[in-house]
Amino acid sequence: MIIADKKPIEEIIESIKDYSRILILGCNECVTVCEAGGKKEVGILASALRMYFLNKGKEVKIDENTLERQCDHEYLDELVDQVDNYDAIVSLACGVGVQFAAEKYRATPILPGVDTCFLGATEKRGLWTERCQACGQCILASTGGICPVSRCAKRILNGPCGGSSKGKCEINKDMDCAWQLIIDRLKALDKLDTYEELSPLKDWSTDRAGGPRKIMREDLLL
Amino acid sequence: MTLKRKFKAGDFAILAEMEPPKGVDISIMTDSAIKVKGKVDALVVPEMSNAVMRMSALGGAMILQSKGIETVMQVNCRDRNRIALQADLLAAYGCGIRNVMAVIGEDPGYGDHHQARSVYDIDLVELLKAINTLSQGRDMAGIELVGAPDFLVGSTTNIGAKGKSSELEFEDLKKKADAGAYFFITPPLFHIASLSPFLKKAESLQIKIIPTVLLLKSLGMARYMSKNMEHIFIPDELIGRIQKAPDKVRECTLIAAETVRSLKKEGFSGVMLATIGWEHKLSEILEKV
Repeated sequence: MIIADKKPIEEIIESIKDYSRILILGCNECVTVCEAGGKKEVGILASALRMYFLNKGKEVKIDENTLERQCDHEYLDELVDQVDNYDAIVSLACGVGVQFAAEKYRATPILPGVDTCFLGATEKRGLWTERCQACGQCILASTGGICPVSRCAKRILNGPCGGSSKGKCEINKDMDCAWQLIIDRLKALDKLDTYEELSPLKDWSTDRAGGPRKIMREDLLL
Repeated sequence: MTLKRKFKAGDFAILAEMEPPKGVDISIMTDSAIKVKGKVDALVVPEMSNAVMRMSALGGAMILQSKGIETVMQVNCRDRNRIALQADLLAAYGCGIRNVMAVIGEDPGYGDHHQARSVYDIDLVELLKAINTLSQGRDMAGIELVGAPDFLVGSTTNIGAKGKSSELEFEDLKKKADAGAYFFITPPLFHIASLSPFLKKAESLQIKIIPTVLLLKSLGMARYMSKNMEHIFIPDELIGRIQKAPDKVRECTLIAAETVRSLKKEGFSGVMLATIGWEHKLSEILEKV
């Protein structure tokens, strides 16, 4: 899922300081799971902002709403009748939701309330770690299900660099060396012979090298 | 006289583009360069324009400097991160290169290595600021340098280009000038009147606008560019003139030379001659200027 982190409240206050009718808009999907932008976080942020403006003696109306998703037209449509009631919307969705809402409601500033960080997994409550960079050409079949593109600091594709030491990465001793994990996993799968095969030159055109990406499925287009 | 002095003196500067080879045989590049030595003020060495892999601008510029020819070395944001860019700039200055031109760099999709990942660690304005920072004796991390470079810095502008908003382009020009760029090279220009109104504005920024004069190689090229290149305007009369000419290549060199003369007359600070692979024609154009 998409992992996001809450923005510092000072940054949010700075972005809304010129407005007096504000909607805090949450998203029920990824950002709810990573506890950055769901209904609960909408409530907490809205309360904090109300207290801040009350202390400042400034009258600011702060409303709350959480959509099922902000990356789908059908859910964003729910705002059609409300959007004109606000000077600005603080979206706690990922960057996709913020942009999609901004594309739909062009006359209303849609401001980000979270920092979108990576595609990752919940290791345990309060700990999320990166697993995928959406490079558009998955090589997990040959790397024992461990991705060197997202988990190796240097994104190298043919074994560990010289900085790997005792299974840890040179960047941070608390970080596993992705290639050590790959080797261990291939060993466990009795597939270490695949480690000896050189990885073909990576085609980054399916990553960001080819500009913004899109997938069009003719079979699904209406 | 160095390019810097020429600009400061307000004299008309003649620059010409000189692509390094795709390979290690430098003879064609150096032969073409030596033919125009003394006739151009500096040779602009592109950094893999159109994302086509070839000898780097740093290498090309060093070779040309070793032949006693002043160069303008291009640096782009596509292929190097901030560490490599700064390192190459220091190397360039250490090797005698005194002029640099910062460009954004075309996407690898345009070139011959479509699968390459572009870098864009810093953008063009940030690169210009980085050059400025180096000239103040510090690197981008704020660490003091042992000796600071003092480059004459240039960049690009699309001001006056067909289909571009002159207001936005002027803002862009100002931003780059504030970041430290002093001279600005335009895309190929075939209609001087479209750029002339911006001269006065440019003067207010204390910068130099250097139009590119591109040598058309054939009628087909002129027609193709006119039809397919969104921001290039080639007047129909010019295409008609090439069409009627018995010796089309000669006519094209005449047109290039005439455009250079007109730019000089109009009060531009200089010209950048681009011959894209026909560098051997440079001396012929310059003889007619």
